[in-house]
Amino acid sequence: MLHLVHEVLDAQLLDRHDQKIGRIDDLVLELGDDGRPRVSAVLIGGSPRARRMGSWIAALARLFGLRETGVSRVPFAAVRRIGDDVALDVEQGDLSSERLERWLREHVVCRVPGSAGERK
Amino acid sequence: MKKLGEIALGIVTGIGGFLEAGSIATASQAGSEFGFQLAWVMLLGTASLACLMEMTGRLAAVSHRSYADLMRERFGVRFFLLPLVALLLVSFLSLAAEVGGVAITLEMATGISLRWWAIPVALLGWALLWRGTFGLMEKGTAIFGLVALVFAVGAFKLHPHWPDVAKALLPSTPSHDRARYWYIAVSVLGASISPYLYVFYSAGAIEGGWTVDDLGVNRMTVSLGNIFGGALAICVVVVAAMVLAPGHVKVDSFEPISRMLVTPLGEAGFVLFAATLFVTCFGTTLEIALAMAYLLAEGFGWAWSQNLRPSKDARFSMTYTVAILAAAVPIVLGMNPFALTNIAMVLTAASLPVTVLPLIVLMNDRRILYRDTNGWMSNAALVIISVMAIALFVAAIPLQVTGGG
Repeated sequence: MLHLVHEVLDAQLLDRHDQKIGRIDDLVLELGDDGRPRVSAVLIGGSPRARRMGSWIAALARLFGLRETGVSRVPFAAVRRIGDDVALDVEQGDLSSERLERWLREHVVCRVPGSAGERK
Repeated sequence: MKKLGEIALGIVTGIGGFLEAGSIATASQAGSEFGFQLAWVMLLGTASLACLMEMTGRLAAVSHRSYADLMRERFGVRFFLLPLVALLLVSFLSLAAEVGGVAITLEMATGISLRWWAIPVALLGWALLWRGTFGLMEKGTAIFGLVALVFAVGAFKLHPHWPDVAKALLPSTPSHDRARYWYIAVSVLGASISPYLYVFYSAGAIEGGWTVDDLGVNRMTVSLGNIFGGALAICVVVVAAMVLAPGHVKVDSFEPISRMLVTPLGEAGFVLFAATLFVTCFGTTLEIALAMAYLLAEGFGWAWSQNLRPSKDARFSMTYTVAILAAAVPIVLGMNPFALTNIAMVLTAASLPVTVLPLIVLMNDRRILYRDTNGWMSNAALVIISVMAIALFVAAIPLQVTGGG
């Protein structure tokens, strides 16, 4: 038995290499052919998160340019493991919700000396 | 042996880590205006902080999850917004105050206005965070922080009547200026119970890879570290009470505080004070900037670790970068660090309910802590701290209006 709200929603997500890739910001339920609901996908990203924070936060987020394009929708079938974390069979590099991380890494962080290599 | 080393490091961290711009400023105000009388508030604040740190440390050691992580997951993203915003706001104000504290010591040393120093200080702090590891930072601030012991030396050389100091460890009500008394009490509590400390501490436990086996280390570190730190803060109250109170010196800047140790220690006292303020504020600057990054990264599930290179956790690294540079701005614009410190401490006190009350639920959840949930004593302490936190929330702003300034 799995408590969706208690154990799945807001859980830490890991990618194929156990890298942290955000949290489950929302869940998508679909009605199957037999008329029974099942979880079909997890959503990661600012706008589903803002929607769950309440309508005025969502409106504020839209005002500040938070778009659906930054949202990742990962099929629930890609779940590898559910424990304290939820591990997905995805690559961090393929997720649009990780675009900010990639952009910051390439355009800002890696241009500053001392940002890569081993820690002393 | 490794555990002894960790406990020793914890104690040394407690000595220097407890003092920073906020606690030095508020303890000096307390001593200069009310003698030893407010020492009990310092004791109360230290004991509360020790309880909260023990709990968040235990949470991290048993569940391998940090405080912010559990807040988000257990209470959901909608509730999480509340502690997130409150913590970011008070942490940012405290961060600016600490940067101001470092800058003011440089002004004392060089005569060049602190407004010029804010950016270099922020850049130096940022460079250390960018290049250094967690362990390096922890050990560095701990060892240099030992200079703060100068307050203990100063207090003993002034030969206070120690039974009077001991008597002041029991609560008492003021004979004059009630609003001012309670306003300073609130600031002292805000300065001792800093939420960034338990965010930082629990993230540190994760960085250190703590397990259930480290619960003993956690308890020892927190209690001994805070006993030493709290005692040192009470020494600041004693020094201010002996040096500043007789002349009715009103402390409304770091200027009178900086001459405080000259009475017991001669001119060396001034240099040692400047060194203490510099080291402790600088160490705290690093801690707060990291705590803000931990909070956001844990809450939103980003990759984070001070032991990773910034290219592996870009959002985490950019958070402390932006925080520390932005914290220099109010100082560059000419805001008075002392006034900033006072506002930060009062708002910290007001923010406590949102970070303390969730612990009542977390610390009693068997799915998170298994056999190590709170016993009745920890729960009693937590309830007392919660009631105090709510009282601070209600009273802080009115007291700022009636007793501040």
